Amino acid sequence: MSRYKEFLFPVIVFALAALILPLVLSAYYMHIAILVLVWAYLATSWNILGGYAGQHSLGHGLYMGVGAYASTYLAITYGLSPWIGLIIGAILAAGLGWFVGFATFRYGLKGAYFALVTIALTEAAVYVVSNWKAMGGAAGLEVTYLGNKPWMMQFDGKLGYFLIILVMTLAAVLITQWLNGRRFGYRLVAVRENEEAAEAMGVNTLGTKINATVLSAAMTAVGGSFFAQYFTYVGPRTVFGETVSVQILLFAIIGGLGTVWGPLVGAIILVPTAEFARAELGTTFQGAHLLLYGAVLVLTMLFMPNGIVGLARDVRRKLARGPGDEPSAPLAEGGGP
Amino acid sequence: MSHLLEVENLTRVFGGLTAVNDLSFHVDRGEVVGLIGPNGAGKTTCFNLLSGAIRPTSGAIRFKGQDVVGKKSHQMCKLGLTRTFQVVQPFPDVSALENIMIGAFVRHGSAGAAERKAREVLETVGMDHKADVLGRDLTLMELKKLEIGKGLATEPDLLLLDEVAAGLTPVEIDDILALVRKLNQDGMTFLVVEHVMKVIMNLSHRIVVLNFGSLIAEGTPGEISKNQAVLDAYLGEEEYVA
Repeated sequence: MSRYKEFLFPVIVFALAALILPLVLSAYYMHIAILVLVWAYLATSWNILGGYAGQHSLGHGLYMGVGAYASTYLAITYGLSPWIGLIIGAILAAGLGWFVGFATFRYGLKGAYFALVTIALTEAAVYVVSNWKAMGGAAGLEVTYLGNKPWMMQFDGKLGYFLIILVMTLAAVLITQWLNGRRFGYRLVAVRENEEAAEAMGVNTLGTKINATVLSAAMTAVGGSFFAQYFTYVGPRTVFGETVSVQILLFAIIGGLGTVWGPLVGAIILVPTAEFARAELGTTFQGAHLLLYGAVLVLTMLFMPNGIVGLARDVRRKLARGPGDEPSAPLAEGGGP
Repeated sequence: MSHLLEVENLTRVFGGLTAVNDLSFHVDRGEVVGLIGPNGAGKTTCFNLLSGAIRPTSGAIRFKGQDVVGKKSHQMCKLGLTRTFQVVQPFPDVSALENIMIGAFVRHGSAGAAERKAREVLETVGMDHKADVLGRDLTLMELKKLEIGKGLATEPDLLLLDEVAAGLTPVEIDDILALVRKLNQDGMTFLVVEHVMKVIMNLSHRIVVLNFGSLIAEGTPGEISKNQAVLDAYLGEEEYVA
Protein backbone atom coordinates (compact mmCIF):
# COMPACT_ATOMS: atom_id res chain seq x y z
CA MET A 1 0.00 0.00 0.00
CA SER A 2 2.72 2.44 0.94
CA ARG A 3 4.11 2.10 -2.58
CA TYR A 4 0.91 3.58 -4.00
CA LYS A 5 1.14 6.45 -1.56
CA GLU A 6 4.61 7.24 -2.85
CA PHE A 7 3.16 7.61 -6.32
CA LEU A 8 0.11 9.49 -5.12
CA PHE A 9 2.13 12.28 -3.54
CA PRO A 10 3.81 13.49 -6.76
CA VAL A 11 0.51 13.21 -8.64
CA ILE A 12 -1.23 15.42 -6.10
CA VAL A 13 1.59 17.98 -6.04
CA PHE A 14 1.63 18.25 -9.82
CA ALA A 15 -2.16 18.33 -10.09
CA LEU A 16 -2.26 21.23 -7.63
CA ALA A 17 0.43 23.03 -9.62
CA ALA A 18 -1.57 22.49 -12.81
CA LEU A 19 -4.72 23.92 -11.21
CA ILE A 20 -3.29 26.82 -9.28
CA LEU A 21 -0.27 28.19 -11.15
CA PRO A 22 -2.05 29.15 -14.41
CA LEU A 23 -4.58 31.14 -12.35
CA VAL A 24 -2.09 33.14 -10.35
CA LEU A 25 0.84 33.58 -12.72
CA SER A 26 1.12 36.22 -15.42
CA ALA A 27 2.38 35.25 -18.88
CA TYR A 28 5.94 36.17 -17.93
CA TYR A 29 5.88 34.05 -14.80
CA MET A 30 4.25 31.21 -16.73
CA HIS A 31 7.25 31.41 -19.04
CA ILE A 32 9.56 31.07 -16.06
CA ALA A 33 7.49 28.19 -14.69
CA ILE A 34 7.88 26.44 -18.05
CA LEU A 35 11.63 27.03 -17.99
CA VAL A 36 11.81 25.60 -14.48
CA LEU A 37 9.96 22.49 -15.60
CA VAL A 38 12.03 22.06 -18.78
CA TRP A 39 15.25 22.05 -16.79
CA ALA A 40 13.71 19.97 -14.03
CA TYR A 41 12.62 17.41 -16.60
CA LEU A 42 16.02 17.29 -18.29
CA ALA A 43 17.86 17.11 -14.97
CA THR A 44 15.56 14.35 -13.73
CA SER A 45 16.30 12.37 -16.90
CA TRP A 46 20.03 12.95 -16.48
CA ASN A 47 19.78 11.94 -12.82
CA ILE A 48 18.97 8.32 -13.68
CA LEU A 49 22.38 7.86 -15.26
CA GLY A 50 24.31 10.56 -13.42
CA GLY A 51 22.75 10.48 -9.97
CA TYR A 52 21.56 6.90 -9.52
CA ALA A 53 24.14 5.01 -11.56
CA GLY A 54 26.84 7.58 -10.71
CA GLN A 55 28.05 7.95 -14.30
CA HIS A 56 28.47 11.70 -14.69
CA SER A 57 27.68 12.35 -18.31
CA LEU A 58 28.68 15.86 -19.35
CA GLY A 59 27.26 15.30 -22.79
CA HIS A 60 23.51 15.00 -22.41
CA GLY A 61 23.17 17.86 -24.88
CA LEU A 62 23.81 15.14 -27.43
CA TYR A 63 20.53 13.37 -26.66
CA MET A 64 18.63 16.60 -26.16
CA GLY A 65 19.85 17.74 -29.58
CA VAL A 66 18.91 14.50 -31.28
CA GLY A 67 15.37 14.79 -29.92
CA ALA A 68 15.06 18.47 -30.81
CA TYR A 69 16.42 18.10 -34.33
CA ALA A 70 14.57 14.87 -35.11
CA SER A 71 11.10 16.17 -34.26
CA THR A 72 11.74 19.62 -35.76
CA TYR A 73 13.24 18.32 -38.99
CA LEU A 74 10.39 15.83 -39.47
CA ALA A 75 7.79 18.52 -38.73
CA ILE A 76 9.29 21.04 -41.17
CA THR A 77 10.10 18.62 -43.95
CA TYR A 78 7.22 16.15 -43.80
CA GLY A 79 4.69 18.00 -41.68
CA LEU A 80 4.93 15.15 -39.18
CA SER A 81 3.41 15.87 -35.80
CA PRO A 82 6.04 16.51 -33.11
CA TRP A 83 4.10 14.07 -30.97
CA ILE A 84 5.28 11.34 -33.33
CA GLY A 85 8.59 13.10 -33.95
CA LEU A 86 9.45 13.00 -30.27
CA ILE A 87 8.97 9.25 -30.22
CA ILE A 88 11.26 8.88 -33.21
CA GLY A 89 13.76 11.23 -31.56
CA ALA A 90 13.62 9.17 -28.36
CA ILE A 91 14.27 5.97 -30.31
CA LEU A 92 17.22 7.54 -32.14
CA ALA A 93 18.63 8.87 -28.86
CA ALA A 94 18.16 5.47 -27.23
CA GLY A 95 20.16 3.87 -30.04
CA LEU A 96 22.84 6.51 -29.74
CA GLY A 97 22.83 6.09 -25.95
CA TRP A 98 23.34 2.36 -26.38
CA PHE A 99 26.28 3.01 -28.68
CA VAL A 100 27.86 5.60 -26.35
CA GLY A 101 27.28 3.36 -23.34
CA PHE A 102 28.73 0.33 -25.03
CA ALA A 103 31.70 2.19 -26.52
CA THR A 104 32.69 3.75 -23.19
CA PHE A 105 31.72 1.24 -20.50
CA ARG A 106 32.77 -1.84 -22.47
CA TYR A 107 36.30 -0.49 -22.35
CA GLY A 108 36.10 0.37 -18.69
CA LEU A 109 35.90 4.17 -18.93
CA LYS A 110 35.02 5.65 -15.56
CA GLY A 111 34.70 8.95 -13.74
CA ALA A 112 36.46 11.86 -15.39
CA TYR A 113 37.45 9.81 -18.44
CA PHE A 114 33.84 8.90 -19.13
CA ALA A 115 32.82 12.54 -18.61
CA LEU A 116 35.47 13.75 -21.04
CA VAL A 117 34.35 11.38 -23.78
CA THR A 118 30.75 12.54 -23.39
CA ILE A 119 31.83 16.21 -23.70
CA ALA A 120 33.82 15.33 -26.80
CA LEU A 121 30.84 13.57 -28.37
CA THR A 122 28.37 16.40 -27.80
CA GLU A 123 30.93 18.95 -29.05
CA ALA A 124 31.50 16.81 -32.11
CA ALA A 125 27.74 16.80 -32.67
CA VAL A 126 27.77 20.62 -32.72
CA TYR A 127 30.18 20.58 -35.65
CA VAL A 128 28.41 17.76 -37.47
CA VAL A 129 25.08 19.57 -37.31
CA SER A 130 26.65 22.96 -38.13
CA ASN A 131 27.88 21.50 -41.40
CA TRP A 132 24.78 19.50 -42.24
CA LYS A 133 22.74 21.39 -44.83
CA ALA A 134 19.50 19.48 -44.32
CA MET A 135 19.68 20.38 -40.62
CA GLY A 136 19.98 24.07 -41.37
CA GLY A 137 23.72 24.21 -40.77
CA ALA A 138 24.94 26.79 -38.29
CA ALA A 139 21.70 28.77 -38.65
CA GLY A 140 19.64 25.91 -37.23
CA LEU A 141 16.00 25.08 -37.88
CA GLU A 142 12.99 27.25 -37.25
CA VAL A 143 9.62 25.76 -36.35
CA THR A 144 6.94 27.36 -38.54
CA TYR A 145 4.19 28.69 -36.32
CA LEU A 146 0.83 27.39 -37.54
CA GLY A 147 -1.42 28.87 -34.89
CA ASN A 148 -3.20 27.03 -32.13
CA LYS A 149 -2.70 23.43 -33.25
CA PRO A 150 -2.38 21.00 -30.33
CA TRP A 151 -1.72 18.12 -32.74
CA MET A 152 1.37 20.02 -33.96
CA MET A 153 2.23 20.86 -30.33
CA GLN A 154 1.60 24.55 -30.92
CA PHE A 155 -0.54 26.73 -28.72
CA ASP A 156 -1.76 30.25 -28.38
CA GLY A 157 -0.52 31.28 -25.00
CA LYS A 158 1.57 29.46 -22.45
CA LEU A 159 -1.01 27.17 -20.92
CA GLY A 160 -0.72 24.33 -23.44
CA TYR A 161 3.07 24.23 -23.18
CA PHE A 162 2.90 24.50 -19.42
CA LEU A 163 0.57 21.52 -19.11
CA ILE A 164 2.66 19.36 -21.46
CA ILE A 165 5.95 19.96 -19.69
CA LEU A 166 4.21 19.57 -16.33
CA VAL A 167 2.96 16.12 -17.30
CA MET A 168 6.38 15.22 -18.73
CA THR A 169 8.11 16.23 -15.51
CA LEU A 170 5.55 14.32 -13.47
CA ALA A 171 6.21 11.28 -15.64
CA ALA A 172 9.98 11.62 -15.14
CA VAL A 173 9.51 11.92 -11.37
CA LEU A 174 7.22 8.88 -11.35
CA ILE A 175 9.70 6.84 -13.41
CA THR A 176 12.44 7.75 -10.92
CA GLN A 177 10.16 6.93 -8.01
CA TRP A 178 9.32 3.61 -9.61
CA LEU A 179 12.99 2.76 -10.21
CA ASN A 180 13.70 3.59 -6.59
CA GLY A 181 11.86 0.53 -5.36
CA ARG A 182 12.84 -1.92 -8.08
CA ARG A 183 15.66 -4.31 -8.76
CA PHE A 184 16.98 -2.14 -11.60
CA GLY A 185 17.05 0.92 -9.33
CA TYR A 186 18.93 -0.96 -6.61
CA ARG A 187 21.39 -2.18 -9.19
CA LEU A 188 22.01 1.36 -10.43
CA VAL A 189 22.86 2.39 -6.88
CA ALA A 190 25.06 -0.69 -6.41
CA VAL A 191 27.02 0.23 -9.54
CA ARG A 192 27.48 3.79 -8.26
CA GLU A 193 28.48 2.77 -4.77
CA ASN A 194 30.91 -0.02 -5.54
CA GLU A 195 31.19 -1.55 -8.96
CA GLU A 196 33.49 -4.40 -8.03
CA ALA A 197 31.25 -5.53 -5.18
CA ALA A 198 28.17 -5.16 -7.38
CA GLU A 199 29.68 -7.40 -10.04
CA ALA A 200 30.60 -10.01 -7.41
CA MET A 201 27.01 -9.93 -6.15
CA GLY A 202 25.56 -10.90 -9.48
CA VAL A 203 24.98 -7.45 -10.96
CA ASN A 204 25.79 -7.26 -14.66
CA THR A 205 27.43 -3.87 -14.26
CA LEU A 206 28.09 -3.31 -17.96
CA GLY A 207 24.49 -4.11 -18.92
CA THR A 208 23.13 -2.02 -16.06
CA LYS A 209 25.14 1.03 -17.09
CA ILE A 210 24.18 0.67 -20.75
CA ASN A 211 20.49 0.30 -19.87
CA ALA A 212 20.68 3.38 -17.66
CA THR A 213 22.25 5.34 -20.53
CA VAL A 214 19.58 4.21 -22.96
CA LEU A 215 16.71 5.15 -20.64
CA SER A 216 18.27 8.47 -19.67
CA ALA A 217 19.06 9.34 -23.31
CA ALA A 218 15.55 8.56 -24.56
CA MET A 219 13.95 10.65 -21.82
CA THR A 220 16.34 13.55 -22.46
CA ALA A 221 15.53 13.48 -26.17
CA VAL A 222 11.82 13.96 -25.45
CA GLY A 223 12.78 17.04 -23.44
CA GLY A 224 14.73 18.27 -26.46
CA SER A 225 11.68 17.90 -28.70
CA PHE A 226 9.59 19.95 -26.32
CA PHE A 227 12.36 22.54 -26.00
CA ALA A 228 12.37 23.03 -29.78
CA GLN A 229 8.59 23.33 -29.96
CA TYR A 230 8.43 25.84 -27.15
CA PHE A 231 11.22 28.10 -28.39
CA THR A 232 10.26 27.40 -32.05
CA TYR A 233 13.94 27.25 -32.88
CA VAL A 234 16.83 24.79 -32.66
CA GLY A 235 20.44 25.72 -33.32
CA PRO A 236 23.58 23.63 -32.87
CA ARG A 237 24.62 25.50 -29.72
CA THR A 238 21.17 25.83 -28.20
CA VAL A 239 20.66 22.10 -27.83
CA PHE A 240 23.99 20.37 -28.44
CA GLY A 241 27.24 21.38 -26.85
CA GLU A 242 28.64 21.51 -23.38
CA THR A 243 26.84 24.67 -22.17
CA VAL A 244 23.47 22.95 -22.23
CA SER A 245 24.97 19.71 -20.99
CA VAL A 246 26.48 21.36 -17.96
CA GLN A 247 23.26 23.22 -17.15
CA ILE A 248 21.35 19.95 -17.16
CA LEU A 249 23.49 18.42 -14.46
CA LEU A 250 23.82 21.63 -12.47
CA PHE A 251 20.25 21.42 -11.23
CA ALA A 252 20.61 17.75 -10.34
CA ILE A 253 23.81 18.34 -8.38
CA ILE A 254 22.47 21.33 -6.50
CA GLY A 255 19.11 19.72 -5.80
CA GLY A 256 20.56 16.37 -4.82
CA LEU A 257 22.14 13.61 -6.91
CA GLY A 258 20.36 10.29 -6.89
CA THR A 259 17.21 11.62 -5.24
CA VAL A 260 13.72 11.66 -6.76
CA TRP A 261 12.99 15.31 -6.04
CA GLY A 262 16.49 16.80 -6.17
CA PRO A 263 16.56 17.89 -9.83
CA LEU A 264 13.13 19.52 -9.54
CA VAL A 265 14.03 21.32 -6.32
CA GLY A 266 17.32 22.47 -7.86
CA ALA A 267 15.54 23.87 -10.90
CA ILE A 268 12.81 25.55 -8.83
CA ILE A 269 15.41 27.41 -6.79
CA LEU A 270 17.97 28.18 -9.45
CA VAL A 271 16.11 28.87 -12.69
CA PRO A 272 14.00 31.81 -11.43
CA THR A 273 16.98 33.30 -9.62
CA ALA A 274 19.07 33.12 -12.76
CA GLU A 275 16.22 34.50 -14.87
CA PHE A 276 15.78 37.50 -12.60
CA ALA A 277 19.51 38.09 -12.58
CA ARG A 278 19.40 38.05 -16.33
CA ALA A 279 16.39 40.36 -16.50
CA GLU A 280 17.65 42.84 -13.92
CA LEU A 281 21.35 42.86 -14.73
CA GLY A 282 21.24 41.72 -18.35
CA THR A 283 22.18 45.16 -19.67
CA THR A 284 24.55 46.34 -16.95
CA PHE A 285 26.16 43.06 -16.00
CA GLN A 286 25.89 40.56 -18.76
CA GLY A 287 26.45 36.93 -17.85
CA ALA A 288 25.55 37.56 -14.19
CA HIS A 289 23.39 34.44 -14.20
CA LEU A 290 26.33 32.30 -15.32
CA LEU A 291 28.39 33.73 -12.49
CA LEU A 292 25.54 32.89 -10.17
CA TYR A 293 25.42 29.29 -11.42
CA GLY A 294 29.15 28.95 -10.82
CA ALA A 295 29.01 30.42 -7.33
CA VAL A 296 26.05 28.30 -6.24
CA LEU A 297 27.69 25.19 -7.63
CA VAL A 298 30.94 25.82 -5.76
CA LEU A 299 29.09 26.55 -2.52
CA THR A 300 26.97 23.43 -2.92
CA MET A 301 30.01 21.24 -3.49
CA LEU A 302 31.71 22.74 -0.44
CA PHE A 303 28.90 22.81 2.08
CA MET A 304 26.33 20.26 0.99
CA PRO A 305 27.79 17.75 -1.42
CA ASN A 306 24.54 15.76 -1.30
CA GLY A 307 22.55 18.74 -2.53
CA ILE A 308 19.48 20.31 -0.98
CA VAL A 309 17.36 17.18 -0.88
CA GLY A 310 20.36 15.12 0.25
CA LEU A 311 20.98 17.55 3.10
CA ALA A 312 17.34 17.34 4.17
CA ARG A 313 17.57 13.54 4.11
CA ASP A 314 20.75 13.53 6.22
CA VAL A 315 19.23 15.91 8.77
CA ARG A 316 16.12 13.74 9.00
CA ARG A 317 18.28 10.65 9.55
CA LYS A 318 20.22 12.39 12.31
CA LEU A 319 17.02 13.50 14.01
CA ALA A 320 15.52 10.03 13.76
CA ARG A 321 18.59 8.56 15.40
CA GLY A 322 18.32 11.04 18.23
CA PRO A 323 21.10 12.78 20.18
CA GLY A 324 23.68 10.78 22.11
CA ASP A 325 23.20 7.80 19.83
CA GLU A 326 26.08 8.45 17.48
CA PRO A 327 26.80 5.90 14.80
CA SER A 328 29.66 3.56 15.48
CA ALA A 329 33.03 4.84 14.31
CA PRO A 330 33.12 4.53 10.55
CA LEU A 331 35.81 2.27 9.21
CA ALA A 332 35.74 2.37 5.48
CA GLU A 333 38.46 -0.17 5.00
CA GLY A 334 39.59 -2.99 7.20
CA GLY A 335 42.77 -3.90 5.40
CA GLY A 336 44.32 -7.19 6.38
CA PRO A 337 48.01 -7.75 6.98
CA MET B 1 29.18 -38.05 -7.92
CA SER B 2 31.26 -35.23 -9.30
CA HIS B 3 32.76 -32.54 -7.12
CA LEU B 4 31.05 -29.19 -6.55
CA LEU B 5 34.16 -27.33 -7.66
CA GLU B 6 36.96 -28.90 -9.60
CA VAL B 7 40.14 -27.06 -10.48
CA GLU B 8 42.52 -28.73 -12.92
CA ASN B 9 46.02 -27.61 -13.85
CA LEU B 10 45.03 -23.99 -13.31
CA THR B 11 47.76 -21.54 -14.33
CA ARG B 12 47.83 -17.77 -14.43
CA VAL B 13 50.84 -15.81 -15.62
CA PHE B 14 51.26 -12.07 -15.10
CA GLY B 15 54.08 -11.00 -17.41
CA GLY B 16 57.06 -12.95 -16.12
CA LEU B 17 55.40 -13.97 -12.87
CA THR B 18 53.50 -17.23 -12.56
CA ALA B 19 51.04 -16.35 -9.81
CA VAL B 20 49.19 -19.67 -9.95
CA ASN B 21 51.07 -22.66 -11.31
CA ASP B 22 49.44 -25.92 -12.43
CA LEU B 23 47.09 -25.94 -9.46
CA SER B 24 44.58 -28.77 -9.02
CA PHE B 25 42.15 -29.30 -6.16
CA HIS B 26 38.46 -29.80 -5.53
CA VAL B 27 35.72 -28.84 -3.12
CA ASP B 28 32.79 -31.11 -2.28
CA ARG B 29 29.36 -30.09 -1.09
CA GLY B 30 29.17 -29.47 2.64
CA GLU B 31 32.91 -29.02 3.07
CA VAL B 32 34.95 -26.17 4.44
CA VAL B 33 38.21 -26.13 2.51
CA GLY B 34 41.01 -23.84 3.63
CA LEU B 35 43.36 -22.26 1.16
CA ILE B 36 46.56 -21.10 2.82
CA GLY B 37 50.07 -20.07 1.98
CA PRO B 38 52.58 -17.32 2.75
CA ASN B 39 52.09 -13.82 1.37
CA GLY B 40 52.30 -13.85 -2.39
CA ALA B 41 51.54 -17.57 -2.65
CA GLY B 42 48.72 -16.94 -5.13
CA LYS B 43 45.66 -17.25 -2.90
CA THR B 44 44.00 -14.04 -3.98
CA THR B 45 44.81 -14.68 -7.65
CA CYS B 46 43.21 -18.09 -7.19
CA PHE B 47 40.06 -16.43 -5.80
CA ASN B 48 40.01 -13.96 -8.66
CA LEU B 49 40.26 -16.83 -11.13
CA LEU B 50 37.50 -18.85 -9.48
CA SER B 51 35.13 -15.89 -9.19
CA GLY B 52 35.65 -14.88 -12.80
CA ALA B 53 37.33 -11.54 -12.08
CA ILE B 54 40.30 -12.62 -14.22
CA ARG B 55 40.80 -15.39 -16.78
CA PRO B 56 43.26 -18.22 -16.39
CA THR B 57 46.20 -18.54 -18.77
CA SER B 58 45.47 -22.25 -18.96
CA GLY B 59 43.71 -25.00 -17.06
CA ALA B 60 40.12 -25.85 -16.30
CA ILE B 61 37.57 -24.80 -13.69
CA ARG B 62 34.42 -26.88 -13.40
CA PHE B 63 31.60 -25.79 -11.15
CA LYS B 64 28.60 -28.11 -10.68
CA GLY B 65 29.97 -30.16 -13.57
CA GLN B 66 30.00 -27.17 -15.93
CA ASP B 67 33.08 -25.62 -17.52
CA VAL B 68 33.09 -22.05 -16.24
CA VAL B 69 36.33 -20.66 -17.65
CA GLY B 70 35.58 -17.30 -19.28
CA LYS B 71 32.46 -16.60 -17.22
CA LYS B 72 32.26 -13.14 -15.68
CA SER B 73 31.86 -12.49 -11.95
CA HIS B 74 28.17 -11.73 -12.14
CA GLN B 75 27.58 -14.92 -14.14
CA MET B 76 29.50 -17.00 -11.60
CA CYS B 77 27.37 -15.46 -8.89
CA LYS B 78 24.22 -16.48 -10.73
CA LEU B 79 25.58 -20.01 -11.15
CA GLY B 80 26.04 -20.19 -7.38
CA LEU B 81 29.63 -19.20 -6.68
CA THR B 82 29.95 -15.95 -4.74
CA ARG B 83 33.01 -14.35 -3.20
CA THR B 84 33.56 -11.91 -0.37
CA PHE B 85 36.41 -9.42 -0.31
CA GLN B 86 39.35 -9.22 2.05
CA VAL B 87 39.07 -5.45 2.14
CA VAL B 88 35.38 -5.13 2.93
CA GLN B 89 33.37 -3.63 0.08
CA PRO B 90 30.12 -2.21 1.42
CA PHE B 91 27.82 0.07 -0.53
CA PRO B 92 28.49 3.02 1.79
CA ASP B 93 25.53 5.26 1.07
CA VAL B 94 22.74 2.70 1.53
CA SER B 95 21.53 0.86 4.63
CA ALA B 96 22.77 -2.56 5.75
CA LEU B 97 19.44 -4.01 4.68
CA GLU B 98 19.74 -2.54 1.18
CA ASN B 99 23.35 -3.70 0.94
CA ILE B 100 22.14 -7.25 1.41
CA MET B 101 19.05 -6.79 -0.77
CA ILE B 102 21.31 -6.12 -3.74
CA GLY B 103 22.65 -9.64 -3.33
CA ALA B 104 19.16 -11.08 -2.81
CA PHE B 105 18.03 -9.63 -6.16
CA VAL B 106 20.08 -12.34 -7.87
CA ARG B 107 17.37 -14.88 -7.02
CA HIS B 108 14.40 -12.59 -6.36
CA GLY B 109 12.88 -10.25 -8.92
CA SER B 110 10.65 -8.18 -6.66
CA ALA B 111 11.80 -5.79 -3.97
CA GLY B 112 9.40 -7.36 -1.48
CA ALA B 113 10.85 -10.85 -1.88
CA ALA B 114 14.43 -9.48 -1.85
CA GLU B 115 13.71 -7.58 1.35
CA ARG B 116 12.28 -10.66 3.06
CA LYS B 117 15.36 -12.65 2.08
CA ALA B 118 17.65 -9.82 3.22
CA ARG B 119 15.96 -9.61 6.63
CA GLU B 120 16.37 -13.36 7.03
CA VAL B 121 20.07 -13.05 6.18
CA LEU B 122 20.54 -10.09 8.55
CA GLU B 123 19.16 -12.26 11.33
CA THR B 124 21.43 -15.16 10.38
CA VAL B 125 24.54 -12.99 10.61
CA GLY B 126 23.26 -11.26 13.75
CA MET B 127 22.81 -7.83 12.23
CA ASP B 128 19.04 -7.45 12.36
CA HIS B 129 19.28 -4.54 14.81
CA LYS B 130 21.54 -2.69 12.34
CA ALA B 131 19.21 -2.99 9.33
CA ASP B 132 18.77 0.75 8.87
CA VAL B 133 22.37 1.83 9.53
CA LEU B 134 24.26 3.10 6.49
CA GLY B 135 27.13 1.03 5.16
CA ARG B 136 29.60 3.77 5.97
CA ASP B 137 28.52 3.95 9.61
CA LEU B 138 29.18 0.27 10.44
CA THR B 139 32.16 -0.95 12.48
CA LEU B 140 34.73 -3.28 10.95
CA MET B 141 33.21 -6.30 12.71
CA GLU B 142 29.78 -5.35 11.41
CA LEU B 143 31.19 -4.81 7.93
CA LYS B 144 32.73 -8.29 8.01
CA LYS B 145 29.37 -9.77 8.95
CA LEU B 146 27.72 -7.63 6.29
CA GLU B 147 30.23 -8.95 3.77
CA ILE B 148 29.27 -12.54 4.63
CA GLY B 149 25.60 -11.55 4.58
CA LYS B 150 25.92 -10.01 1.12
CA GLY B 151 27.42 -13.26 -0.09
CA LEU B 152 24.76 -15.40 1.61
CA ALA B 153 21.98 -13.28 0.13
CA THR B 154 22.94 -14.45 -3.35
CA GLU B 155 22.09 -18.00 -2.12
CA PRO B 156 25.32 -19.56 -3.35
CA ASP B 157 26.26 -23.23 -3.47
CA LEU B 158 29.83 -22.24 -2.70
CA LEU B 159 30.90 -19.14 -0.79
CA LEU B 160 34.49 -17.97 -1.10
CA LEU B 161 35.61 -16.14 2.04
CA ASP B 162 38.66 -13.93 1.64
CA GLU B 163 40.28 -13.32 5.04
CA VAL B 164 37.14 -12.67 7.05
CA ALA B 165 39.14 -12.64 10.26
CA ALA B 166 41.76 -10.11 9.16
CA GLY B 167 41.85 -7.07 11.42
CA LEU B 168 39.51 -8.47 14.06
CA THR B 169 40.16 -8.96 17.77
CA PRO B 170 40.37 -12.53 19.17
CA VAL B 171 36.87 -12.24 20.62
CA GLU B 172 35.47 -11.05 17.30
CA ILE B 173 37.30 -13.85 15.53
CA ASP B 174 35.55 -16.41 17.76
CA ASP B 175 32.27 -14.76 16.83
CA ILE B 176 32.96 -15.05 13.09
CA LEU B 177 34.20 -18.63 13.54
CA ALA B 178 30.97 -19.59 15.25
CA LEU B 179 28.97 -17.96 12.46
CA VAL B 180 30.81 -19.75 9.65
CA ARG B 181 30.64 -23.07 11.46
CA LYS B 182 26.92 -22.71 11.99
CA LEU B 183 26.36 -21.82 8.34
CA ASN B 184 28.37 -24.89 7.36
CA GLN B 185 26.29 -27.10 9.66
CA ASP B 186 23.23 -25.71 7.91
CA GLY B 187 24.68 -26.93 4.63
CA MET B 188 26.75 -24.09 3.17
CA THR B 189 30.00 -25.00 1.45
CA PHE B 190 33.02 -22.73 1.94
CA LEU B 191 36.39 -22.14 0.41
CA VAL B 192 38.31 -19.99 2.87
CA VAL B 193 41.49 -17.98 2.42
CA GLU B 194 42.85 -17.00 5.78
CA HIS B 195 46.01 -15.81 7.46
CA VAL B 196 44.81 -16.35 11.00
CA MET B 197 45.81 -19.98 11.68
CA LYS B 198 43.34 -20.41 14.51
CA VAL B 199 40.55 -19.81 12.04
CA ILE B 200 41.79 -22.10 9.33
CA MET B 201 42.70 -24.96 11.69
CA ASN B 202 39.40 -24.74 13.50
CA LEU B 203 37.12 -24.47 10.52
CA SER B 204 38.57 -26.50 7.70
CA HIS B 205 37.81 -30.11 6.92
CA ARG B 206 40.65 -30.04 4.43
CA ILE B 207 43.43 -27.58 3.73
CA VAL B 208 45.14 -26.80 0.45
CA VAL B 209 48.56 -25.20 0.84
CA LEU B 210 50.09 -22.98 -1.85
CA ASN B 211 53.60 -21.65 -2.12
CA PHE B 212 54.85 -19.61 -5.07
CA GLY B 213 51.65 -20.44 -6.91
CA SER B 214 52.01 -24.22 -6.65
CA LEU B 215 50.29 -26.75 -4.46
CA ILE B 216 52.72 -28.05 -1.88
CA ALA B 217 50.38 -30.02 0.37
CA GLU B 218 46.79 -31.04 0.87
CA GLY B 219 45.15 -32.77 3.82
CA THR B 220 43.31 -32.46 7.12
CA PRO B 221 44.40 -29.73 9.54
CA GLY B 222 46.14 -32.42 11.60
CA GLU B 223 48.13 -33.67 8.62
CA ILE B 224 48.97 -30.17 7.42
CA SER B 225 50.31 -29.05 10.78
CA LYS B 226 52.77 -31.99 10.70
CA ASN B 227 53.71 -31.72 7.03
CA GLN B 228 57.40 -30.84 6.75
CA ALA B 229 57.06 -28.96 3.45
CA VAL B 230 54.35 -26.79 4.92
CA LEU B 231 56.29 -26.19 8.11
CA ASP B 232 59.29 -25.13 6.09
CA ALA B 233 57.31 -22.85 3.82
CA TYR B 234 54.97 -21.30 6.25
CA LEU B 235 54.12 -22.68 9.64
CA GLY B 236 57.76 -22.68 10.64
CA GLU B 237 57.20 -19.10 11.63
CA GLU B 238 56.05 -20.04 15.12
CA GLU B 239 54.31 -16.78 15.88
CA TYR B 240 51.72 -17.50 13.22
CA VAL B 241 50.56 -20.64 15.00
CA ALA B 242 47.90 -19.69 17.45
